[in-house]
Amino acid sequence: MSVEAKTLEERQAALKGLGTSRKRVEDARFTQGKGNYVDDLKMPDMLFGDFVRSQHAHAYVKSIDTTEAMALPGVIAVLTAADLEPLNLHWMPTLAGDKQMVLADGKVLFQGQEVAFVIAEDRYIAADAVDLVKVEYEELPVLVDPFKAELPDAPILREDIADQKEGAHGPRRHPNHIFTWEQGDKAATESILESAAVVAEETVYYHRTHPCPLETCGAVASMDKVNGKLTLWGTFQAPHVVRTVASMLSGIAEHNIRVVSPDIGGGFGNKVGVYPGYICAIVASIVTGKPVKWVEDRMENLTSTAFARDYWMQGKIAATAEGKITGLWCHTTADHGAFDACADPTKYPAGFMSICTGSYDIPTAYLAVDGIYTNKAPGGVAYRCSFRVTEAAYFIERMIEVLAIKLDMDAAELRRINFIKKEQFPYQSALGWEYDSGDYHTAWDKALKAVDYPALREEQAARVEEFKAGKTRKLMGIGLSHFTEIVGAGPVKNCDILGMGMFDSCEIRIHPTGSAIARLGTISQGQGHATTFAQILASEIGISADDITIEEGDTDTAPYGLGTYGSRSTPVAGAATAMAGRKIRAKAQMIAAYMLEVHDNDVEWEVDRFVVKGAPERFKTMKEIAFASYTQAIPGIEPGLEAVSYYDPPNMTYPFGAYIAVMDIDVDTGVTEIRQFYALDDCGTRINPMIIEGQVHGGLTEALAIALGQEIAYDELGNVKTGSLMDFFIPTSWETPNYVTDFTETPSPHHPIGAKGVGESPNVGGVPAFSNAINDAFRAFGSTHTNMPHDHWRIWKTANDLGLHA
Amino acid sequence: MNLQDEVLLPVGREAVFQALNDPEILKASIPGCEELIKHSDTELEATVVVKFGPVKASFGSNVELDPSLGPEKFSLSGSGDAGVAGFAKGGAQVDLTEQEGGTLLSYEVNIDIGGKLAQVGGRLIEGTTKRLAKKFFANFEEALVNRHT
Repeated sequence: MSVEAKTLEERQAALKGLGTSRKRVEDARFTQGKGNYVDDLKMPDMLFGDFVRSQHAHAYVKSIDTTEAMALPGVIAVLTAADLEPLNLHWMPTLAGDKQMVLADGKVLFQGQEVAFVIAEDRYIAADAVDLVKVEYEELPVLVDPFKAELPDAPILREDIADQKEGAHGPRRHPNHIFTWEQGDKAATESILESAAVVAEETVYYHRTHPCPLETCGAVASMDKVNGKLTLWGTFQAPHVVRTVASMLSGIAEHNIRVVSPDIGGGFGNKVGVYPGYICAIVASIVTGKPVKWVEDRMENLTSTAFARDYWMQGKIAATAEGKITGLWCHTTADHGAFDACADPTKYPAGFMSICTGSYDIPTAYLAVDGIYTNKAPGGVAYRCSFRVTEAAYFIERMIEVLAIKLDMDAAELRRINFIKKEQFPYQSALGWEYDSGDYHTAWDKALKAVDYPALREEQAARVEEFKAGKTRKLMGIGLSHFTEIVGAGPVKNCDILGMGMFDSCEIRIHPTGSAIARLGTISQGQGHATTFAQILASEIGISADDITIEEGDTDTAPYGLGTYGSRSTPVAGAATAMAGRKIRAKAQMIAAYMLEVHDNDVEWEVDRFVVKGAPERFKTMKEIAFASYTQAIPGIEPGLEAVSYYDPPNMTYPFGAYIAVMDIDVDTGVTEIRQFYALDDCGTRINPMIIEGQVHGGLTEALAIALGQEIAYDELGNVKTGSLMDFFIPTSWETPNYVTDFTETPSPHHPIGAKGVGESPNVGGVPAFSNAINDAFRAFGSTHTNMPHDHWRIWKTANDLGLHA
Repeated sequence: MNLQDEVLLPVGREAVFQALNDPEILKASIPGCEELIKHSDTELEATVVVKFGPVKASFGSNVELDPSLGPEKFSLSGSGDAGVAGFAKGGAQVDLTEQEGGTLLSYEVNIDIGGKLAQVGGRLIEGTTKRLAKKFFANFEEALVNRHT
């Protein structure tokens, strides 16, 4: 038979397992317009919901008149908070231990807040009816600056909890204060700052932005009143958690709720939370007995669903005169908007911001984060990053640059002398994390060599001279970034969302003819899970990835899991997949031994088969074993070949990377050009290099967007100034440079296959690389730090402030 | 947003002042004014249609005139609601100075705009508002000259 004739290498290659650049199996349907997104769902009698939203950032709602809207033919109902109150659904819990209005209950707290929900026969009638709902407001003073939140004349936003001195994360000192979260040793850090030879200080603002997925958020709820079953399709990054929350809120038993995430057109953290639209669609379907669809438009997405970042990070970094860092201090003012709806593990109100010591061996550190309410949209999600990890990475990578300026030292060298050394892993950080593995010096040296770093610095110095001599109007910036992420949340002992431990799961069924289906608790939003998880499994069980179906997102069939965000799919569900595969293999070993008439321990695994030790011609392939499991009566072994694994990771994983951006800046126009971008990623074991490269390209482009222009900006009245794609920057191929990608491979010691996760690394490391390049361009002219986003106007302004236009 | 400008009108101060209090002239002068109802000497209600870039908004506005310091000074304040399209509120301070050949009208306008108008039309608001203010005084001058010639 041809199978036997194949060499070991050929058999290995045929599996298309770990390390194979296998083409994405999803792309056949995505590239042919055959994806199935929530808005593609069409059902008989389906109704459509649309929101009346607040024009004001802060106002009392005096009255809502729905008479005219109800009179419009085709309008079924208009829901207000008064309608939801008897069901106790006018407010809903947030993921951060706060509560949020589903529909305005007496007041509105941000522009775009949901005030009433119109249900109509089609979406056009619904939109027309929205215009006919008359809402009378009484305007209130608006708070947009978190630093003014606790001034004596500050308006009190959350009157519902104004008197509560204790919040979900400890004491509250003011009605507009949400929490203070402290990590590390304050006294020791301050004492080091006092006695240090050098202390550099800077306030680094990571501006408010938005994940802005291509597909906006939406849901279809369908209540089957005959069978008492509710089905909810939607853009959910965590469908199982949505089912549990929906059950707890609605009182419908969890087995009577089915949540389905169909194809999702990008999530980036935006689709983790629970939004009023989901609740209203469910209520509307229960009330009408018909399916109800709600899909937000682009402006609604940008102005009302979860934003990202908005951290004001005040930093102090202490070092010896030679540049050895001795201490790090950080106080962050976190603007959370009107409701604390951050999507973080319960015990971490500022996510993993405490990874802010970065890639460096910093013996002493202190971090405090103050969460503040303002009249802005709620959120604070991890936009293509693990919880607050981009904020942390941006902070430390800017502070390193600021310290380098203070020390008059090369920033690459400063990093090198402070890196955690390879032999220090597992490394215990001053803020409480145990870094699993890393080899920063090797990655850094490889990166510097790849771009010929010394030559770049020489060129830059020459450029400064030319500029001063009036020979050029362009400056050159070299943006260095060495980031360490913390992903794969996480160990159940300290990571949960709404009490649900952050494990994940995989269930595998091997079919009689030797193909398989595996279902996971995660959900792909473009990451390519159907491709990569099949590869993990292929290597574990010796069945070609092409013969394995991966299914996710239907809570009636998939095992319970916490979903996909924070680069947790590969670290957690990927581990569950490998572990479930090993259970399959363990049973297969017994079956093979029975078939070969030897003892269990006398057979060993070899790529796709069990072989009798010492007799390689005697073997049973996984295909043969699978068939036998369904066709033979094997004493002491149950028929069939299935396994389930629920994986509780022992630790997070810590991917890292070295990025270098080289940019030219026209000081007269502020226009930037990315000359070169080199990205080295170490994500541990590499499952599919082509998917990794694709993820890195996508993440770098989002990083480019954030660093160079993308923001959610508010004016003093609380108007969102960047509420459409006219003003909210999304890079196209025009702005996107060619990226050079590279890698080192330092496996995670605790992950079953050593993989660490990569989807978010390029955003985490890319933002500081771009921002450092812009800031570095002005270093020679006395500038220490300028805030993002570095759009053309702000760069021009920096040049102007430095007198470069004179 | 704050706008300041001045315009020289070829009629006497008293005539300008009267015109500022005249609903007919105001209606002819306000760009996009579809309806102007006088509730009293100082209280007006107007329906004004304005286009800010892609957003066309019909403002139902209440305006209060303050002629008490006339004819040297004149002020007005008001607010307009365009439903889901947004809202505007603000006021204008007008100084009338007698000059050779007529009256110098200097004005300072403060306007806050909110809602969808501010979101979508953000970058267009200042330009549009300036254009509308200029249009208003051009129309005003025309109506005034027509009446007095």
